[in-house]
Amino acid sequence: MNRRPLRSSERAVAGLVGLAVFFGLWELLVRALNVRPFVLRAPSQALRYIWKSPHFYWTQAMTTGREALLGFLLALVIALLWGALMAASSILDAASTPVLVLVMVTPFATYAPSVVLWLGSGWKPIEFVVGLACLPAFAFAAADGMRSADTAARELLHSVDAGRWEVLWRLRLPAAMPSLFTAARWNVGVALVIAYLVEGYALVTRGLGAAGKRAAAFSNANGVWAVVFCMAALGVVGMLAIAAVRARVLHWHASERRPTI
Amino acid sequence: MTAVSVSGVTKRFGKVEALAPLDLTVDPGEVVALLGPSGCGKTTLLRIIGGLERASEGTVLVDGLPPAAARSAKRVGLVPQSPGLLPWRTVRANAGLLLDVNRSANPAHAGADIDALLSEVGLDTFADAYPHELSGGMQQRVALVRAFALNAPLLLMDEPFAALDEMTREDMRHLLVRLCERTNATVLFVTHSIAEAAFVSDRVVVMTSRPGRIYADLPVDLARPRRPELEEDPAFFAVETTLRASLRDGAGR
Repeated sequence: MNRRPLRSSERAVAGLVGLAVFFGLWELLVRALNVRPFVLRAPSQALRYIWKSPHFYWTQAMTTGREALLGFLLALVIALLWGALMAASSILDAASTPVLVLVMVTPFATYAPSVVLWLGSGWKPIEFVVGLACLPAFAFAAADGMRSADTAARELLHSVDAGRWEVLWRLRLPAAMPSLFTAARWNVGVALVIAYLVEGYALVTRGLGAAGKRAAAFSNANGVWAVVFCMAALGVVGMLAIAAVRARVLHWHASERRPTI
Repeated sequence: MTAVSVSGVTKRFGKVEALAPLDLTVDPGEVVALLGPSGCGKTTLLRIIGGLERASEGTVLVDGLPPAAARSAKRVGLVPQSPGLLPWRTVRANAGLLLDVNRSANPAHAGADIDALLSEVGLDTFADAYPHELSGGMQQRVALVRAFALNAPLLLMDEPFAALDEMTREDMRHLLVRLCERTNATVLFVTHSIAEAAFVSDRVVVMTSRPGRIYADLPVDLARPRRPELEEDPAFFAVETTLRASLRDGAGR
């Protein structure tokens, strides 16, 4: 099968078709098997529920999306600096790895309440925890990608005494882009889920997490599923955005080129 | 002033003696080939001269400066074995890479017209292409342009055509000679190929097997400018025969 890279528009259409098929099968199964509503709702019920108050769900989705995006970007900036240091120094690399693994494996629920106590309620603890959760994948990707820069090119820059920042900017950072985009795809999901869950700790009244928590407290299954659908929509938008940026930035990379065989 | 002066240089990697004490001088405008069997230390010597490796003993001067200072002053243009092109930069941008970094040290006449050089090597229509759109020979031509564009007093070439097929290799050595004769560049050229050494250089330094030392320093008395037809000339065959014999004797075979 010819696996050619898709244009952004083609990717968006293919994603929508995939979702339509998934929801269609879900709808069909719920109706055909007559699944009881408290076990599983049909997607049409959740969509009808969103349709009743679209402005409310749009506002909540924008809040959660903004929190996830800011935490994601915060992690990316810190990881680029941290990854550059790890790539430049084996001692820093060895010292950083266990710390990043610790961050990665510690359930955020154990420290999220402390972060809320420290930073107060509101968006700050949400950004902090999202940033922390996204950091390890970005830092490992940045360090590995920067280390993988072509040896001949590194030596070439060394032969004209290029400065560390020049080597970072002109060679190591572009070389790290493919692995950074892979980490970004993973972190879109991480950022959204963590933002959703930490909204529950941060005593905020806006956002999909807060709306989902309220719906669950009132046993409003339609409300819970509506929030789930909004989260899925945010995830798809995030993935499409990453794919569009990747196609532009990595136009030179084998993964974005039309294969010849 | 000599372009390169190597005096009593040795190199050890742990217990392995890579280079025995050796002396070498290269005059400005001279093209000197380092010819020797695999692992004899040709590349190590080149790297020491380029300031990419430190000698265990001895002194090296490039254009009157220690190698590290020559490197900082961008007095050395390197052509590595693999082209080392950056896949995200166009051909033109790759050709100008060495000029884009450490700008304050660019030589006085640096930035020879990159488009003119690309045109000279037949890549003018590929100036906006990316490396993945080029063949291996074309990529190596970009690497040559990148080194010549720097206008450095010394060019160090480490088997730049080793990975190419025979036909392309022939074309590349003809191109290199054309560029050297036009620019009057000083070149130190590492190669395994006897034909390459004979066609390109004014002098061939034959090295022995490890630990590398200079076995013979042979002048190549072939008139310049050199044209591809020279490779069919009996005088060229005679140089090849001399070099082959020297290489064999130096390797102890």
